[in-house]
Amino acid sequence: MNRRTAWIFLITLTAIMAVGFIYPAISVLKEAFINPHTGGFSMGYFSMVLTDPVYQEGIINALNLGLVSTLMAALIAVPLAVINNRYAFPGRKFLSLALLIPMILPPFIGAVGIKCILGTEGSLNGLLFNLGWMSPEHPRDWLAENRFLGIVLMNALHLYPILYLNAAASLAQVDPALEQAAANLGCSPSRRFFRITLPLILPGLFAGASLVFIWAFTELGVPLVFDFPRVAPVQILDGIKNLDRNPLPYALTGIVLVIAALVFLISKLVLGSSKHAAAPRPSLRSTPKPLPTWLGWACAILFAGITLIASLPHLGVIFLSVSNAWHGTILPSEFTLGHWQEALGSALVVPSIQNSLLYAGCASFAALIMGLTAAWVIVRSDLRMRHLLDTITMLPLAVPGLVMAFGYLALSQEGKPFAFLVGANGSPFLLLTLAYTIRRLPYVTRAAIAGLQQSDVMLEQAARSLGATVMSTFRRISLPLLAAHLAAGTILAFAFSMLEVSDSLILAQRAEHFPITKATFALLSSLGNGTQLAAALGVWSMVFLSVALIGAAILGGKRGGLSE
Amino acid sequence: MSQARTIWITLGLMFFLVVLPLALREDTNQMPNANARRLVIYTPHSESIRREFAEAFAEYWEKQHHEKVYIDWRSPGGTSEIRLVLDASYKAADEEKRPGIGADIFFGGGEPDFANQSKKGRLVPLKLFDKHPEWFGKDGAIPEIYTGEHLYAKDKTWISSCLSRFGVCYNPIRLKYLDLPEPKTWNELTNPKLYGMLALADPTKSGSVARAFELIVQAEMQKSLVDPALKDLPEKERLSRGWTNGLKVLQGLAANARYFADASTKIPLDIADGNAVAGMCVDYYGKAFANQVNKTEVRLKWIAPINGTTVSGDPIAILRGTSEPELAQAFVEYVLSPEGQALWNSAAGTPGGPKRRELYRPPVRRDTFPIGTGKPAPDSPYVFGQYQTYRPELTAASFGTLRRFVRVMCIDNHEELKAAWQAIIEAGMPADAIAALQDFSSLPYRDGGKGDPELDNPDPLVSAQRMSQLGIKFRENYKRAEALARAHTSKKP
Repeated sequence: MNRRTAWIFLITLTAIMAVGFIYPAISVLKEAFINPHTGGFSMGYFSMVLTDPVYQEGIINALNLGLVSTLMAALIAVPLAVINNRYAFPGRKFLSLALLIPMILPPFIGAVGIKCILGTEGSLNGLLFNLGWMSPEHPRDWLAENRFLGIVLMNALHLYPILYLNAAASLAQVDPALEQAAANLGCSPSRRFFRITLPLILPGLFAGASLVFIWAFTELGVPLVFDFPRVAPVQILDGIKNLDRNPLPYALTGIVLVIAALVFLISKLVLGSSKHAAAPRPSLRSTPKPLPTWLGWACAILFAGITLIASLPHLGVIFLSVSNAWHGTILPSEFTLGHWQEALGSALVVPSIQNSLLYAGCASFAALIMGLTAAWVIVRSDLRMRHLLDTITMLPLAVPGLVMAFGYLALSQEGKPFAFLVGANGSPFLLLTLAYTIRRLPYVTRAAIAGLQQSDVMLEQAARSLGATVMSTFRRISLPLLAAHLAAGTILAFAFSMLEVSDSLILAQRAEHFPITKATFALLSSLGNGTQLAAALGVWSMVFLSVALIGAAILGGKRGGLSE
Repeated sequence: MSQARTIWITLGLMFFLVVLPLALREDTNQMPNANARRLVIYTPHSESIRREFAEAFAEYWEKQHHEKVYIDWRSPGGTSEIRLVLDASYKAADEEKRPGIGADIFFGGGEPDFANQSKKGRLVPLKLFDKHPEWFGKDGAIPEIYTGEHLYAKDKTWISSCLSRFGVCYNPIRLKYLDLPEPKTWNELTNPKLYGMLALADPTKSGSVARAFELIVQAEMQKSLVDPALKDLPEKERLSRGWTNGLKVLQGLAANARYFADASTKIPLDIADGNAVAGMCVDYYGKAFANQVNKTEVRLKWIAPINGTTVSGDPIAILRGTSEPELAQAFVEYVLSPEGQALWNSAAGTPGGPKRRELYRPPVRRDTFPIGTGKPAPDSPYVFGQYQTYRPELTAASFGTLRRFVRVMCIDNHEELKAAWQAIIEAGMPADAIAALQDFSSLPYRDGGKGDPELDNPDPLVSAQRMSQLGIKFRENYKRAEALARAHTSKKP
């Protein structure tokens, strides 16, 4: 890439991020820098946060949760991706796709789903009551015990698909000839993995791990399920919603952003750039080796077992949606389809499906274009500023959804700079597309960067030297090499856009513009069976997204190590 | 699997999934009609309330004026989110010198929320006060004050449309397992047997919840004032003792609490599911959930604690700069009319009652009876119950202080409080450890119930610094109490 083109791309992307991300975020966070007496610059709120033991503990807990959850997710995802890449076992195609399902947990009622399983009168205790191993009079409260471990496990089981998708895409790009050469020279399988495979897939692992870390570091929902409020993201949310309107939570947000950026940059220096990663296009496709029958079934059980454990909250939501009574039993004691009929019969639902597909579809496409361009500048150019672009495209993950949502809301009022993004009839289409694009951009950017790092630039240079145009080189050489990673990143961006909460609740104001998440929120507030109604629409969303994603993974991810 | 087959199966499944809600879709006025006038209403009310009122008002208006109306409900979350949205919208409107924010009505919340909006000049006077003077006054259907709570504003900018009471909801089955009686007062919830089993609402995010906490303190102050054992003490001393007792009750509740929630539905749901044994919630959520879960056995009950709660209003108001002033005034008038009021507490499906779901809310008009009964509802707050009378002169000036103090004492240091309380329970409730735990010397009762000047300081940095100082003090107290209790435990044979 010549420097001029790189500069144009870099300036354009930085400008988009400055307008779409930094400006709205600062318009909210600036309060933390203003001295209430003089109106001048102040770091008073920051020093207060940094010296208050409750906030200090919140930051340390968030960091620990982020790091341990990422490690745990990697311990689940990497072995699964390697097994899937190397070996044939019963149900491999189906099971490798089913592994992705746990990441689609509908908002609001996911927590209730977890409680249906692990609550004091949930399924697990119901089973133990039945077996006579626990007395219903003294049920065990699993969610109140070992809360840190519980949050880590729940994070890891929810987030490992992100790492798995990236690892699978990276493994698909590894030339099996390299490993075969090592094997021919007498290298043991474990040594082969650590000396050959791991360095080659490191960019993909870093891509997934950085996303998982920032997600877990800023995770809100899971700590709330476990009633664990002393963690920075929960403290920020509590502070924003506090009646006092004190700017302390904005100072805490600033600190969280700085920590996220620092951890990202340090880990990028350590892990992000493997000297060995760039490899020529694999000369041959790796063929999964058949395993002895018992070992094949053991692998299948491992895949199915992890999917099942990670899907327990989903099962809770599914059964809740058809339950009329469910207390202290393994399954509901009374079933009904009434909640489904009432939820899907709501006039809010059909338009919300159309809206969500439109908002999430456009945002995913925009994120794909932006992410790919950013990745190109970051990997293929030698501009020093590219590291800044890399960091800025990651940070939207670390800013609390409510902060961004209120930033967009304030700037889109009549007469304000973003007012043109609101349609004549109050349509938030452009505003929500922008918000979703910015917040989901990291998924595509990281995947594209990993893809580019793993594909050899010499292949592109060879095409150019043989007279191919830039576009033709991109279309015929680069895109096919990147397809797996782009599919993985775009799938994640689409799924998480469909499930986005904060922007959807605040920015979609009229019923005719509601996305699915806001329609679910509306149903949740129905008196009496609101939870079951929200569960029914949540299950509908899970099934719809699963079908869409598995279809996309099969079609777009043929080379993504997911479905060959 | 061939690519074509995959595409067809995927598309077929997606088609089925999209057709399903289309087939089940009901024809309601939840979506706008192109020819309808639009009324924009911010509300934290539930979907059930929104739907019933939208349909009923649309029918009423069409009958009266042969014109269609569409209610454009805006619900960005609960009251705290609405407050943030109104703040952001009015800030922009003021900067751009626009009178309004494109919204007409604010419907639902607590009296403190509406008083706050009124103070900011965002509400306009309601015409129904002049149009229907017979509804007000001494013998009117709507009292100005009931149980000490204002049901409409003196400046006529808001009026309560229905009533609500904060009370105790509990799971009688789990209480029986714990060998505890069904509670009748807040104090009973401080029983150590309930450690880790209470679900409390968060007073830092809702003015109504903060008022409920204030009432708990005030109830103890009122008790002290009439306690014959204290009659020889000066009034200030009696009030001071009551204040400290009130703080003890709040701390006791927090020590037993599993969490402080800001989602109104979470508490009754967790109690019905056994994840908590008892907690605080408003009457209508308690009753609606009880109706849902008490099918084969009674899993959830709600009570108004004796002399532990007031009957407060749930207001409605018209926002400044409304573009539909006539329609907005008509909507408020309809909600307060006998027809509108009947929707709150009549059975679903009765003529003139809600169509789909009972709303379980006591109407503000005392002349409204559930349709077809001709007599007050069995739990009408105007007829039944032993309610506390709110006396603003005792604690209103320290409303902000109390809220911030509860945050520091109970929420920010909840982990340390729980650890200390658990150690005290295990040690058999030693007096020295309890005394260390209940050291409230940092926030004594002040003359006239005034608040702490630093906690209530308009400079947010000063207030935050004071909260941090108090937080450190309570943390130390709790750690000391825990250490004292552990010392007792280690001495036990």
